Amino acid sequence: MQREVGTLPLAPALRARLAAAGFQTAQELLDTGPCGLSKEIGISREEALEALQVVRQECHGDTARAAGGSGATRKCTALELLEEEQTQGFIITFCSALDNILGGGVQLTKITEICGAPGVGKTQLCMQLAVDVQIPECFGGVAGEAVFIDTEGSFMVDRVVDIAAACVQHCHLIAEAQPEEDHGKALETFSVENILSHIYCFRCRDYTELLAQVYLLPEFLAEHSKVRLVVIDGIAFPFRHDFEDLALRTRLLNGLAQQLIITANEHRAAVVLTNQMTTRIGQSQSTLVPALGESWGHAATVRLIFHWDNTQRLATLYKSPSQKESTIAYEITVQFHHCWLHVLMETRCHSIFCRF
Amino acid sequence: MAAKKLRRAQLSQEMCERLSRYQITTCQDFLCLSLLELMKVTGQSYHEVQKLLCKVSRACAPKMQTAYEMKLRKSVNPSSAFLSTTLHSLDRVLHGGVPCGSLTEITSPPGCGKTQFCIMLSVLATLPVSMGGLDGAVIYIDTESAFSAERLIEIAANRFPAYYDSDEKLLCMTRSIHLYRELTCCSVLKRIMSLEEDIILKKVKLVIIDSVASVVRKEFDTKLQGNLAERSNFLNRGASVLKYLAEEFTIPVILTNQITTALSSGPGLRADLVSPADDLSLSEGSSVSGKRDSGYVTAALGNTWSHSVNTRLILQYHDLPTRQLLVAKSPVAPFSTFFYTIEKSGLILQGLLTFFKLWYSTVRISPDRKDQTNLVWEGTNPALQPIRVRNTALKDTLHDAALPSTTGETSRNTSNL
Repeated sequence: MQREVGTLPLAPALRARLAAAGFQTAQELLDTGPCGLSKEIGISREEALEALQVVRQECHGDTARAAGGSGATRKCTALELLEEEQTQGFIITFCSALDNILGGGVQLTKITEICGAPGVGKTQLCMQLAVDVQIPECFGGVAGEAVFIDTEGSFMVDRVVDIAAACVQHCHLIAEAQPEEDHGKALETFSVENILSHIYCFRCRDYTELLAQVYLLPEFLAEHSKVRLVVIDGIAFPFRHDFEDLALRTRLLNGLAQQLIITANEHRAAVVLTNQMTTRIGQSQSTLVPALGESWGHAATVRLIFHWDNTQRLATLYKSPSQKESTIAYEITVQFHHCWLHVLMETRCHSIFCRF
Repeated sequence: MAAKKLRRAQLSQEMCERLSRYQITTCQDFLCLSLLELMKVTGQSYHEVQKLLCKVSRACAPKMQTAYEMKLRKSVNPSSAFLSTTLHSLDRVLHGGVPCGSLTEITSPPGCGKTQFCIMLSVLATLPVSMGGLDGAVIYIDTESAFSAERLIEIAANRFPAYYDSDEKLLCMTRSIHLYRELTCCSVLKRIMSLEEDIILKKVKLVIIDSVASVVRKEFDTKLQGNLAERSNFLNRGASVLKYLAEEFTIPVILTNQITTALSSGPGLRADLVSPADDLSLSEGSSVSGKRDSGYVTAALGNTWSHSVNTRLILQYHDLPTRQLLVAKSPVAPFSTFFYTIEKSGLILQGLLTFFKLWYSTVRISPDRKDQTNLVWEGTNPALQPIRVRNTALKDTLHDAALPSTTGETSRNTSNL
């Protein structure tokens, strides 16, 4: 109630008038009432009433927060957080080494960034995750839906069909090997058509469309509450050309990152971004580093870098709050990402997976 | 979409006027401002501004479609999803041919067959759908003046003698190939920007730019400061317009690229993030593993450009008459190699039997993959895939003639196991 007038979310012109008239705290405004306010400042009664309603809402929100109720900011003890984290879902990638270094899979409510050279498999992994997020809970999945925001035009439906078919087949194999009650029921609805109809694709051609789409994302997620994964394939592409003002770019990217974190938290969804690599010219040599600059490195919670070593594809966990930095080898097969184990080299052609 | 005026985003007239006083007229300007700035500029309260943001976002956000709808749309018209190259093994690996709706790049050293491939594809695009073509016109942007109309007719007449049995038909085909000669980056960009109208007017089904690299490398010297950024800017802009055209009209866009020498500056470059050594370059003589010569030849235009193209095909020399086609980057195909020669009728793939013999000693054949010996599951970084040039091929034939070992194409399979 002692809140200063200048911090209230009113129109700037109105705030200026209130300050000029001498109002300092919100309590004063509420005590004056709409008629008195309109006379003193020279605005209509309706406007005054509107302003007072906003003030009342804000103050009510403030007191609720002060009393420890649910508001825009949450607070809880570390124990509650631990319990939450332990029951938190992971989106498995079906590549057990990758899941291991990530600590179980792609985590919900966190932003994971995948950087890599061209052609290394970033989009493939994203498409795979869009299918894996839909695995029913009895098979170890999170039974969610996926939003795929494509900025580079690399989303290939045929490939997703392949991956989905392989996933369905794999679940059938599990159900046969260890039959349980819920398996049968879950498998009825888990078909390729169903999987495809729960992947919502948006094609953003430039950064304006991307910004617009991210602003509308909370609304979309509120309507489709089962979405557990948001993939932005190619966050670097729209920001890397037509930008003379680098400061603006940094600001927009930071704003985007913030919005994505809020969205991820509120809807318990995982956000996966893919980034390009760019050449940084040093004194004597040039190295490949993730694009979009150093400050962007802070945006993601978990950072994976995909790279080549001769002809072997490797994934390195570069940044994570809970797992240590490590590298694994993987390959892309007809079905999907597959972890390299010596045993599997022989049976690579068949769909037997190391995880189960 | 970005340049959409706020008036059309259904904002009120007075709001638009007020915003235009601050030079905010398009959706792009509006969305680039932070919430506080928007409050100042519009004079509205916080909640009102959020509602305005949603309104403007809705005006420029893309439409949603599920993957299922995309698949249905594709299956309704399957033949229009790709352009068959009539090189059967290549088509099979690419799931049909050159994909429509995305950018395909063809890279090769000089004289390997890029322009031949492009000319061949132009002929294929003008064929009727029943013969595997797209039944449409072709826009060919030539920056090197390498297009030869006579060669075009020769390829058409020899490849499809049954169809092009009269001069009439040949001339009709040539009439639907529109050639533009552009010699500077600026004019190429301008031409790309104006393609939209031409595509609709002339019912174009294929756009070829031969070659992007020649104009860019002429004008941008990357050793000069600032040129690298400008070059990337130009390339990115071109790429995004081309992608938009490819997707909007669902046509294939083919670009050709040149080669450059990537100097490996010692251990720094071979650090984790980047390094492809291909046996093709190792066979150049450096036998000690880990030691590399001064450099190797790879696709030009840098790393960023490799991100922009969706499919990358590399043509390179194998030995003098035979050349090799690599699928270096593709969202649907694994890394594969094919041998081909250039004949009167364009490119002809070598039969499986021939290179089965070549690969026999090197590839491990798993029982159910006997007929796909050309498929290799590993790949290499498409941005740094080393490419054989003519000299290397020449050197190797002499080298191989001297030593009784397996051919220069030692597979990476053996080195990995």
